[in-house]
Amino acid sequence: MTASATLSQLPLQPVGDGPRDVLATLPAVLLFAHADCPTSLLTLRRLAGRGDGVVLVAEEEPAEAARLARRTRLDVPVFAQPPPYEASRTLGVEAVPTALRVNAQGEVEERVVGWDREAYERMLGVELPADAPSWKPACASRSVYDWSGGEGLDELEDMFERGWTDGLPVVPPTPERIEAMLGGRAPSRAVGHVPPALGEATLERVAACAVLAGCRPEYFPVVLAAVEAALEPAFNLNGQAVTTQPAGQVIVVNGPIRDALGLNSEIGALGPGARPNLTIGRALRLVVALTGGGYPGRLDRATLGHPGKVSCCIAENEEASPWEPLHVQRGLPAGSSAVTLVAADAPLSISDHRSQTPEQLATTLGWAAATTWSPYWWPLEAYSLFVVCPEHAELFRAHGWEKARVREAMYAAVHRPAGELRGQGETTARVLGAQSDEEIPRWDDPARILLVVAGGPAGRFSAVLGPCLGMDAAVVTKEVEWST
Amino acid sequence: MEYVSPLDTRVREPEEPSTRTGSISGQRVWLLDIAKNRSAEFLDRIEVLLQERGAEVRRTGKPTFSKPAPEAVIEEIALHGDLAVEALAD
Repeated sequence: MTASATLSQLPLQPVGDGPRDVLATLPAVLLFAHADCPTSLLTLRRLAGRGDGVVLVAEEEPAEAARLARRTRLDVPVFAQPPPYEASRTLGVEAVPTALRVNAQGEVEERVVGWDREAYERMLGVELPADAPSWKPACASRSVYDWSGGEGLDELEDMFERGWTDGLPVVPPTPERIEAMLGGRAPSRAVGHVPPALGEATLERVAACAVLAGCRPEYFPVVLAAVEAALEPAFNLNGQAVTTQPAGQVIVVNGPIRDALGLNSEIGALGPGARPNLTIGRALRLVVALTGGGYPGRLDRATLGHPGKVSCCIAENEEASPWEPLHVQRGLPAGSSAVTLVAADAPLSISDHRSQTPEQLATTLGWAAATTWSPYWWPLEAYSLFVVCPEHAELFRAHGWEKARVREAMYAAVHRPAGELRGQGETTARVLGAQSDEEIPRWDDPARILLVVAGGPAGRFSAVLGPCLGMDAAVVTKEVEWST
Repeated sequence: MEYVSPLDTRVREPEEPSTRTGSISGQRVWLLDIAKNRSAEFLDRIEVLLQERGAEVRRTGKPTFSKPAPEAVIEEIALHGDLAVEALAD
């Protein structure tokens, strides 16, 4: 095929009263540009009034192409190329502006990418304004990042179109991926009905959420255990899923499966970086949002929500802990693997680099919870999850403090007189009914204080995840069924 | 491309709303207290207004606002009532 034949077959749409066929403009400088590119706008404006021989090929719909020429005052023939930008793809235009000097036979003789005043002066044989900048780098062509014409990539956009997402890109749940995720389990087996819309969680749908979240198949037993735990009526997922509160579902993972899957319990235990933690937590949230219909802004009415509602999966650093792991404390045998579900608010960091005694540290940790939920709503009748960093845990270990003693010390340390909790805002019936000097504890019971150890070896930063109040949401632990 | 859906796409058959009575006079009206802060206070006022209009008011409640009403409560309202008001507060 000749060069001109190639050009004539490109789906360019003439705009305005200019030539109907791009071949009729040759020889010419075909200037590829689009409206979202500042360098394109600069180039078009610099060429305004000096554009003899230029033909604008805008990566836009025709109306937008006309508007682009109008706003930059570039009075030249204009052609539009809507998605999938075949002209740009065919001619190898990966950045804009790109100027192609094309001869009468349709052959490209020169190519200038970005704004380059000297190159344009040479190519067009004109003198251009000397205003700075004389050079500016190009932007990506729409053909590069618009996925509608790209083989395979449009699957990601398709997921957004279907609403199968939490706002981030997801992995498309193809039958092959689902089969791998299920690992031979029966796809139609029912796990339960997921609030608030009570969609039935079959294994296949849970697997779809795990795939969407980016899980590897070996993570599935943990996802499944987390879903089963979340569906325990005592957890009251229904209330959590629709509330205006920010609370989300936090997963704590214990046992050997942490190492088997590579769950991170050390540096950055609450933060980014570890695929197993992030995708397992995300899978549970997708089950709630998609299978259960608890999608933010629809049935999920959270005023703010919090980032942990995208994903929050904490692996306990049992190796750095002086205490029995959370799942053992909750009655499962040592050596088993388990998930524990807690309804909780976002983490609040607690810096303490100076405490010398366990009493001091317990007091600091406990008082950090003083403003969670509300500074005046005392006592909290719900759980606070404390993530104790290894250096803090070490102080308790050095003094032989068991978990129960830490909890008791925190509980005993944090109280305020009822008189100070009244008159500032909403508070509890207990505060309203108390004598002014009656000390009100932060929690209604020391058992409301949950302690897990996680984090890296250095730094004395622990955290508290505030409560989900009014839901009567129990903490639920579920053993993970898996084999090595 | 074929995908496996995470959604439960079963469609529940729509149910017809019960017949509108056009008047509350003589009707058995249940007030369902959802146990939010000051729900009762709010319903006390509604009860007075309904009684002024001739309704026969009955009161029931949910143990907690954060969970669906127990079946027994729903059944009682359905069997022994003509109208129901589910009341929020805060």
